[in-house]
Amino acid sequence: MKKIVGLSCMLTILLVLPTIQYVFAQDAPGEYLDRRVEIWNLFFRMMTVAFVIGAIVSGTLIWLVWRFRESNPKAKPTKYEEAGEW
Amino acid sequence: MVLEIQKPRPIWQIMFSTHHTDVGLLYLITSLAALFMGGALALAIRLELFFPGAQIIADSMTFNRMFTVHGTTLIFLFILPFASAIGNYLIPIMVRYKDMAYPKLNAIAFWMIPPGFALIWLGFADFTWNAYAPYSIISAPGPAADMWIFGLKILGVSSILGAINFIVTILKCKHPDLPLSKIPLLAWAYLTSSLIMIVAMPTFAAALLMLLTDRLAVSGFFNPAMGGDPIAYQHLFWFTFHPEVYVLVIPAIGFMYEIIPRFSRKPIFSHSSGVAAFILLSIVGFASWAHHMYASGMSFTEKTVFMVGTLAAVPASAMHVFNFLATMWGGRIRFATPMMWSVGGIALFFSAGAGGVVNSAMPLDFVTHDSYWVVGHFHLFVMGTIAFGSFGFLYYIFPYVTGRMYNEKWGNIHFITSFIGAVMIFFTQHVLGLYGMPRRIFDYPPFPEWIAMNQFASIGGMLLGVSAAIFLANMIYSSAKGKEANMDDPWGIGGKYYYPYQQKNPHH
Amino acid sequence: MVKVSGHSTWPEWIYIGVVVALLVWVGAEAWNVERLIEHVPADAQIIKVTGQQWFWTFEHADGTKEIGELHLQKGKPYKFEITSKDVIHSFNIPDYVVLQDAVPGRINTVWFVPKDTGEFPIQCREYCGLIHYNMRGTLYVEDTA
Repeated sequence: MKKIVGLSCMLTILLVLPTIQYVFAQDAPGEYLDRRVEIWNLFFRMMTVAFVIGAIVSGTLIWLVWRFRESNPKAKPTKYEEAGEW
Repeated sequence: MVLEIQKPRPIWQIMFSTHHTDVGLLYLITSLAALFMGGALALAIRLELFFPGAQIIADSMTFNRMFTVHGTTLIFLFILPFASAIGNYLIPIMVRYKDMAYPKLNAIAFWMIPPGFALIWLGFADFTWNAYAPYSIISAPGPAADMWIFGLKILGVSSILGAINFIVTILKCKHPDLPLSKIPLLAWAYLTSSLIMIVAMPTFAAALLMLLTDRLAVSGFFNPAMGGDPIAYQHLFWFTFHPEVYVLVIPAIGFMYEIIPRFSRKPIFSHSSGVAAFILLSIVGFASWAHHMYASGMSFTEKTVFMVGTLAAVPASAMHVFNFLATMWGGRIRFATPMMWSVGGIALFFSAGAGGVVNSAMPLDFVTHDSYWVVGHFHLFVMGTIAFGSFGFLYYIFPYVTGRMYNEKWGNIHFITSFIGAVMIFFTQHVLGLYGMPRRIFDYPPFPEWIAMNQFASIGGMLLGVSAAIFLANMIYSSAKGKEANMDDPWGIGGKYYYPYQQKNPHH
Repeated sequence: MVKVSGHSTWPEWIYIGVVVALLVWVGAEAWNVERLIEHVPADAQIIKVTGQQWFWTFEHADGTKEIGELHLQKGKPYKFEITSKDVIHSFNIPDYVVLQDAVPGRINTVWFVPKDTGEFPIQCREYCGLIHYNMRGTLYVEDTA
């Protein structure tokens, strides 16, 4: 739940900033848009999101592998094991 | 169905056989040979790129030929035939039929591979596996280029014939008591990837023919000097090969659908979700091809359409990841070699997809297009997902094919070294691309960051080479002298190793 | 035979909802940035860029030609009109994220403003044969005199 809230906060911020930027990005002589800046800013915004999602997915995978490994003292047979078929 | 190492048959009996397990074995051996040959080229490339300047490769033309044949070999002679191998072994069993629908056609489809293989390797073309016009028409040296074109033509026909066989077997030869919705997810993987293949491949077949006639100067489809449009070739090529990458990855996901539930001691979380995801991906996969062409001069609207098409294919893949994680949840997991490969494969599948989403954003393509980012990205798919899934399944099917067990310790070492090596190479190459290094270059300026990252990647490459040697040794030794496997339950995990009715099937 | 475990699938629907929302955000952001950077200023000077195996040539608006080097002025907008004489190349100034294919028989455009002085590499970003790896040039950005 906290993760969802945190994620939405970050997404809101990441959406608001570019919108504000649009308001200022009018081309006047001497004040042209710098494509490097636009593109790399987009890249870093996306990287932030990608790494957050990546941390969630890989964290989940690592936890699953750890918690449900056969050798875990807490491991208990699945309900399909009695039937012998899954 | 145990390999006849214990009771050898004459080799020509296997070679002329039309039985699905024999054809599967032929595909398997061919694909593994291609894996090692294409992999050797990759090692040479990584060695060459360790330092700026020429190292072990004499000149740039040789280098260009090497990466062309590397890519062509691993895609057309390893991944596709390996998938055909497993499909041949298991599809009849999964649908409870005695063989493929057209056994003779099946054998013919296989036997088209060695000539294609020979044409590609004896020609050794240099124009990259894309063979873009007009370079491939006016500048690429023949006869290598023409041999490549003929080789791929033959391989394309082979793929289409194999796909027809798979589709008819699954749809028309399945047991009357077996509804289509209940066939295993691996069978669904083969059904959907075969359907994609027969829709997508003919476009490239046309493009190859046009390339050939352009090279002979009897037509001018793609040659501007004769009034043609080089971009048309790109559209035809990518219309086939974007869906084709789904043909490559879907069987590997199918392999994971066999292994993960088995070793988690639980059924798959949602069989119907897996089916829906395969079908969705097959359809939506046709909507994104020109994201490979963002830099070719497309209009804003065109680029937007293809970006939307690309992003639309992501939820289907996300469904598979969810399915695998949800299956593992609440299981009691044995981390035998096949399971390790599958879990590692999911992790790298996700990273590959994440990088792909970044790439699909049109402006970011200006940073990443034709740079090492792309190389890192697609290798995370072909190596990290497909090869890992394939290795896992190869270990899984090993007892089935040979009657023996592979060496578990060395299988795990193979996985660990490969995982570390793959991460070292392909994650680094993403950063290398961000620093501007173009792909397909024999040499590079001595920027310190480029040198450092190339060296790190090359060390990862050497690690992959070591892991390949371990793999080969394990496979050969265990086939001949491995401990005999308990064919009901080779890993002692409970449940059934394979579809129970196969033992009762008189043809097995 | 595969057993299907009967259970609720609402977590999966929420998950797909989140994935789709993220993808919509990616698409919207990308669309917006692309729209911004494709808007060419009216006063951009045209530079004709021609790629051929295996070097770049440039022609300024006033007719001046350069081979392998391009001298531009800081702070001024330039629009490149890019084409090729033989095979497909790709004109790339990585430091300024300028990239567009040079396709024979067509002219592709991309514009930018060099905001820093200095020397910046130019490279080819589409395989074009033997010397593709060394089809390089240099961009010199000078202060407005």
